[in-house]
Amino acid sequence: MKLKKYIASIGVVFATMALSANIAYAACATDGLASSQAKPDGFPARALTMVVPYGPAGGSGQVAQGMATAVSDLTGVSINRDHKPGGSGTVGMTAFMAMPADGYTVLEHIDDASSAHALDSSKPNPAVDLIPLVTSQITFSQVYMRVGDDRFNDWDSFVKWVKAQNGRATIANVSKEGSMERVTMKFITDATGMKIQQISFDKGAPRYGALAGGQVDALFEQPGDVRKFLDAGKFKPILTILKERPSVFADVPSLTDAGLDFDPLFRFRGFYVHKDAPADRVKWLQWAFQKGFCQPSYQKFNDSKYMTLIESYRDTAGSRKLIDTTVAQYREVYKDMGLEVK
Amino acid sequence: MDAFNNFLTGTITLFSDPMGVLIFFGGVIGGMLFGAIPGVSMLTLAAILLPFTAHLSPEHGIMLFSVIYCTGVYGGAITAILFNIPGAPENAPTAFDGYPMTLKGQAGKAVGAAVMCSALGGTVSTIIMMLATAAIADWAISAFGPPEIFALVFFGLAVAASVGAKTFWKGWLSILAGLMVAVVGLDPVGGIERYDFEMPYLLAGIHFIPTILGFFAVSEIFVQVEKKVKGDFVAPKISVDFPSLSELIAHKFAVIRSIVIGFFCGILPGIGATLAAFMGYNEAVRWSKTPEEFGKGKLEGVISSETANNAATGAAMIPLLALGLPGGALTAMMVGVFQMHDMEPGPLVFINSADLVWVVFAAMFFANISILFIGFLETKTIINLLRIPFQFLAPMILLLATVGAYAVRGLTIDVIVMFLAGVIGFFLRRSGYSVAGIVLGLILGKIGEQTFAQAMQMLHFEWSGYLDRPIAFGLLVAGVLTLCGSIYGAFFKKNRRPPITSG
Repeated sequence: MKLKKYIASIGVVFATMALSANIAYAACATDGLASSQAKPDGFPARALTMVVPYGPAGGSGQVAQGMATAVSDLTGVSINRDHKPGGSGTVGMTAFMAMPADGYTVLEHIDDASSAHALDSSKPNPAVDLIPLVTSQITFSQVYMRVGDDRFNDWDSFVKWVKAQNGRATIANVSKEGSMERVTMKFITDATGMKIQQISFDKGAPRYGALAGGQVDALFEQPGDVRKFLDAGKFKPILTILKERPSVFADVPSLTDAGLDFDPLFRFRGFYVHKDAPADRVKWLQWAFQKGFCQPSYQKFNDSKYMTLIESYRDTAGSRKLIDTTVAQYREVYKDMGLEVK
Repeated sequence: MDAFNNFLTGTITLFSDPMGVLIFFGGVIGGMLFGAIPGVSMLTLAAILLPFTAHLSPEHGIMLFSVIYCTGVYGGAITAILFNIPGAPENAPTAFDGYPMTLKGQAGKAVGAAVMCSALGGTVSTIIMMLATAAIADWAISAFGPPEIFALVFFGLAVAASVGAKTFWKGWLSILAGLMVAVVGLDPVGGIERYDFEMPYLLAGIHFIPTILGFFAVSEIFVQVEKKVKGDFVAPKISVDFPSLSELIAHKFAVIRSIVIGFFCGILPGIGATLAAFMGYNEAVRWSKTPEEFGKGKLEGVISSETANNAATGAAMIPLLALGLPGGALTAMMVGVFQMHDMEPGPLVFINSADLVWVVFAAMFFANISILFIGFLETKTIINLLRIPFQFLAPMILLLATVGAYAVRGLTIDVIVMFLAGVIGFFLRRSGYSVAGIVLGLILGKIGEQTFAQAMQMLHFEWSGYLDRPIAFGLLVAGVLTLCGSIYGAFFKKNRRPPITSG
C-alpha cells in the first residue's frame, strides 16, 4: 500500500485530531454567530423541505430530524422531511437536483455522495454542485467483538485468531463497492496481512443481530450506531480507527497502538442547498443551520450518538475542504484498488 | 408469577391514566380504520403520527405504535376480503379466499373469521412475548442466520409456487417473474447498478407496495369495469352472518399451525408478518384434504392467513425490544419513537424502562382483545362500504391507491409502477398466472437474494457448508421435496392443482 499517496488527507486528519475532545455545550462552534438573522425579502415565507436520501429510522433519518427540530425551534420555520431512500443515496440526490433552486429545498447527505463522485465524476460533487450549509456529524469507525466470545479478547488476539482461520473468519460490514467500510477494511487487511471474509449487510438491524447471534466473528461500525449494545455490555470495541484514542475509549487501541499506518476515513453527514439558490437566501440558510448545530437539543442528540468525541462541526468553507480532501483521498484509493475511476 | 405481576402493574398503569386510555383507544380505532381504508395502511398513519410522538411521554408514544401495529394488521384484512385489495402485504393471502367469499355473499363470515383469528393469533403471540422475550430473542438470532433465512425463503417459494396458479408451470413462471422484478436496482452486496436503463429512480428498485396496489386494487377495478361494460357486473352481496363457534373450532389445527408459523416468522429480524401470512396460507393448502377448494372461497384460507399475520405482531416485538432489531417498516418507526425520547430499544430497556415495557405489553394484549369487540362493531359498519355504487367506489379506491403508492417513498415512479402492474395484472389474471405469486417472488426475492449472498459469503462459497447447519439444510431439503412433489403432480396427477382464481 503506497500510503504516501494519501498525504493530501493529512491536513484533515490533523485538523480533526487537534480538535479531538469532549466539546462542552457552553463553547459551541457557532456561539459567535448572531442570535437572529433578518429574513431576506421575507424568505422563507413557507415551510422548507428537507430531502433525506435514506429512511427515517437510520442514522441519516435521525440527524435530519434532529437538525430540522433545532432549526425550527430557532427560526420558527417548519421543515418537512421528504425521505427518498434507495440507490445508496442516488435517488434522493437526483430528486433534489431536479427541484427548483429557490432555497426552499435543502438536502441531507453523507460522505457517500463524495465517494460516489470520486468514483464517477458525472455524479454531483457536493462541494461544487451544492453549497454545504453545515457538516454536523463527523465520526470514526471501530471493530467490535461479542462480549463472552472466548476465542479472542482484544485486537492482538483477534488478529492472531483470524490469521489461524486461513480466510474463514468473518466480519459484518456494509460492503458496497468503494464504500468507506470496504476501503478501510482493505487498509486493515493489507496492513495486518490477515484475510477475513466480509459479510455484506446493508441494514443495521441484521448486521448487529449477526454479531449478537454469533453468525459472524466481528463487526465494523461507528460507535454511535451500536451505543445501545455497548451500554448493555453486549459488544466490545477492540480497535478504534483513529490515530489517537478518544477519552471515552481510552482502553481501546488506536491505529497507532495497533501499528496500522494509514489515514482513517470518516463518516460525515451534513446539509446542502443547490448552488444556484439566491445568495441572500443561502446566507440565511447558512446562519440557520450553523446556528442550529449549537441548539441544545441538537447538541444533546449529537452527544447521545458519540458525535462529540471528535469535532463534528464544519461551516461552508470547512465542509468544502473536507469534501475536496475526501474526494481526492478516495480517488487515489480507488485507483490503487484497481477500480475504474470515471 | 413475576410476569403476571408485571402484567397487572402494566395494566393498572395503562388504564389508570385517562390520557393513556385515550391514546390506547385512539390507536386501536386508528389502526383498524387506516388498515381498512383501501390504498392507505397502518404505515401511513404511523408516518403521520411519528413527529407528534415527540410531544407524548415515552410510554404513550411506544404504546400508541404497538397498538396501531396490532390493529392495523387486522384492519388490512377488511379491504382484502371486501374489495380484493390487501390493506398491507401481510393481508395479501387473505384476499385469495376472502374475496371469493364476498362474491359468494359470505363477506360477513370471512370478516368475522378474520376478526376472531386476528384476535386469537395476536393474543397468544403477545402472551408468549410476555413470558419469554429475552430467551426467544437470543435463540432466534443465534439459530437463524442468513443461510437459515435463505433456506426458509426457498422453502416458502417452493410451497407458494405449488399452490399459486392454474398449472405448475404458470405458478413457477409467476414466481420467477417476481424474482426478476426483485433484482431491479442496486445489488445488495456490491452495490452494482442493475436494470436501471439510466433512470436513477429505478436504482431504488421496484417496491412491493405499489406493485401490490397495482396487481390487486387497480387490476380488480379494470376487471370490474370490464364486467360493467359487458353487463356482467354483479354487486357483491352483503351479509353479516359471522362464523359460528363450531365452524372455528373445526379449524383448530389450522389456527394452531398458523400461530406457530406466524410466531416463528415474526421473531426473525427483517422477515415479519408478510412471510408469516403466506407461509400460514400455503401450509393450510398443503395439509388440506381438499386443496382444490382453496382460492374459491374457503374459510380456512382466511383463518390461516389472518391468524399467522397477527401472531407475527407480538413475535416481532421480541427482537425489537430485547435486541433493538426491528423486523419491518412499522417496528423500524418504533425505533424512531424510542430515540425521540432519548431511549434505545434493546437489552437495557428491560433494566432501565421496565415500567414502559410492561405498559406496552399490556396495551398489546388488550389491543388484540379489542379487535374481538371493536372489530365486530366496526365490521357491521364497514361492510356497508359494499353498498356504495361501483362508479363512485372505483375512483375513490384509485385515488387512495395512488396516494398510498406515492406515500411509500415519495417517488412518482411508484405510481407509474402501480398502474403498470394494474394493466399487467389485468391480463395475467385471465390467463391463469398468479399475480400473488409475482408479488411473493418480489417480496421474498429481495430477502432471498440478500441472504443467499450473505450465506454464500459466510459459507465461503461452498454449498457443503449447508450440511453443517441442520436447520438450513432441513429447510432446503423440505423445499426440494416440495418442488419434486409439485413436478410429480404436474406430470403424473394432472388437474390436482387448485386454481386460485382471485390471485
